[in-house]
Amino acid sequence: MNKNNSGQRLAQLNKTSFKAQLYKYRYFYLMFLPVIIFALIFFYIPMVGVLYSFTSYKGIRAPEFVGLANFRKMFQMPNFWSAFRNTLEISVVKLFLNTAIAIIISLLLNEMTNLRYKKITQTVIYLPHFLSWVVTASVFSLIMSPSNEGLINQLLIHLHIIEKGNEIYFLGNQNLWRMSYYIINIWKDSGWGTVIFLATLSGINPCLYEAAAIDGANRFKRMTAVTLPALSNTIITVLILNLAKIMNLFESAFVLQNDAVMGTANVLQTYIYYQTFNSGAIPDYGYTTAVGLFKSIVGCILVLTCNHISKKTREGRGIV
Amino acid sequence: MKKKSSLNKTTGFDVFNTILFALICLMMLIPLYKVLIDSFDLTSAYGMRLLPKKFGLDGYISVFTNPTLYRPLLISIATTITGTLLGLTLSTVGGFVLIQWKMPGRTFFANFLLFTMIFNGGMIPTYLLMRSLHLTNSLGSVILYPALNIYNLVLMRNFFEGIPISLYESAELDGCTPMQTFFKIVLPLSKAALASIGLLFAVAYWNDYTNYKLYITDSNFYNFQMKLRSIMMGSDLPGAVGSATENTIKSAAIIIAILPFMILYPFLQKYFVKGMNLGSVKE
Repeated sequence: MNKNNSGQRLAQLNKTSFKAQLYKYRYFYLMFLPVIIFALIFFYIPMVGVLYSFTSYKGIRAPEFVGLANFRKMFQMPNFWSAFRNTLEISVVKLFLNTAIAIIISLLLNEMTNLRYKKITQTVIYLPHFLSWVVTASVFSLIMSPSNEGLINQLLIHLHIIEKGNEIYFLGNQNLWRMSYYIINIWKDSGWGTVIFLATLSGINPCLYEAAAIDGANRFKRMTAVTLPALSNTIITVLILNLAKIMNLFESAFVLQNDAVMGTANVLQTYIYYQTFNSGAIPDYGYTTAVGLFKSIVGCILVLTCNHISKKTREGRGIV
Repeated sequence: MKKKSSLNKTTGFDVFNTILFALICLMMLIPLYKVLIDSFDLTSAYGMRLLPKKFGLDGYISVFTNPTLYRPLLISIATTITGTLLGLTLSTVGGFVLIQWKMPGRTFFANFLLFTMIFNGGMIPTYLLMRSLHLTNSLGSVILYPALNIYNLVLMRNFFEGIPISLYESAELDGCTPMQTFFKIVLPLSKAALASIGLLFAVAYWNDYTNYKLYITDSNFYNFQMKLRSIMMGSDLPGAVGSATENTIKSAAIIIAILPFMILYPFLQKYFVKGMNLGSVKE
């Protein structure tokens, strides 16, 4: 009886204290209001908007419910499948190339003994990351162009690798587009990718290197036996963080594409864009929303999988 | 660091490393350098060379005497400033509320924001929303939409977490309201984080192309990136002044687009790195 009574009183106390808590934090709720409004309008309303994918909607008449017809149409489209495959291939290869090169650069940069030189190098290799994709595409469309301003073709002619008159159109050739795309991406982002690895490396206890040296490890051995294992956790983090985002590939591919390479360069986001805004016909927002929903679901599965892997490999720390 | 270098005598490897990084730096800079010298070169036979063959400023004059260029430049500056301020406001306020561990509903709010990183409506529903809000062909879309950036908000929260709790508590005991704590204690202590995250926003707004491409069709609302893109695609090439060739004009336009950033970059670089590490230390 007594116990019951005190339980009741505790519950009552909790209730009043909950109200008191709400009151105590009233200003914080007020401060948070704009964030909630922004998130609701710009993120949550479009989530409801995925319902368009079950309709036919051309922007003139009200959306008309068509069930799964858009998805059936999508899975029959060869262009959709090629865009899906391109997205996966391009993003994954890009991710592994950029990360591998960033790791190598970090390891070598970490061995640099002249700190001043190291600092200058870092400043230079971080720079391209901050240029916009439009600028990057502009620079490389000039550098890689087949005309006589194209630096790379001029270099190849000078080295007698190609003849004058046989200049290569790197960004307009189905077989060379991807390679050019990867090179441009490495130029732009692999330098910046070293920041996170260098931060980890600066945290390695110098005693480890001394101990390894006393044990007779030479410099290369110290690099592979001390430095690289210290990086492994960060490498996994970087890979899963970025793997979760691979479906979002858009701007970099979009600005480097042209009609000649669409078969190998079209990714899901650009497919959606062209189908909606540039197809020459009246766009069916219902259909392109369906493609977007498919993209979001695959992306969502990737994020959750990566989160799960992350929790398992990184002592319970997820990525979201 | 001194200890570590005492382990390593200067060896062939150091020489190799020094040369390798010189080459890497060259590879990073050569594409930009090539554009720079071409922008001053009035010859029609370009190719490989270290300095312009026929030096002249006609490329820049062609670009600058073209009045259609001023509006995009002003729009870029205006959206970058307003967007960065708005973005910083939302990130700091949001980050500050998310560290109120005892606040009822805190976990819900955190998950409410994090969910948007896992699932999104996609390009077309967002476009249709902008259209129904009459934000297409208006700077509203390109300023408001990128302002709430959950990733930057979490970076800000991570930074606030590092401020000793005793500071908040003593402010509360002294009778500070949350607003006072925020403005008088938290913000003055967060100058470095504000600089880092403000720069992330500024670069994103300055470089924005995707949002303009999606929501803006009226060239009166183009920013400089959109303008540069249409110059490069040849659809909007400024008329040549003097003996400027197409390549000279294009190169000059690229240089104008990156020049402000290139001048500021060496001074700002450390803040970018700080911002990045804010995320990597705690995630």
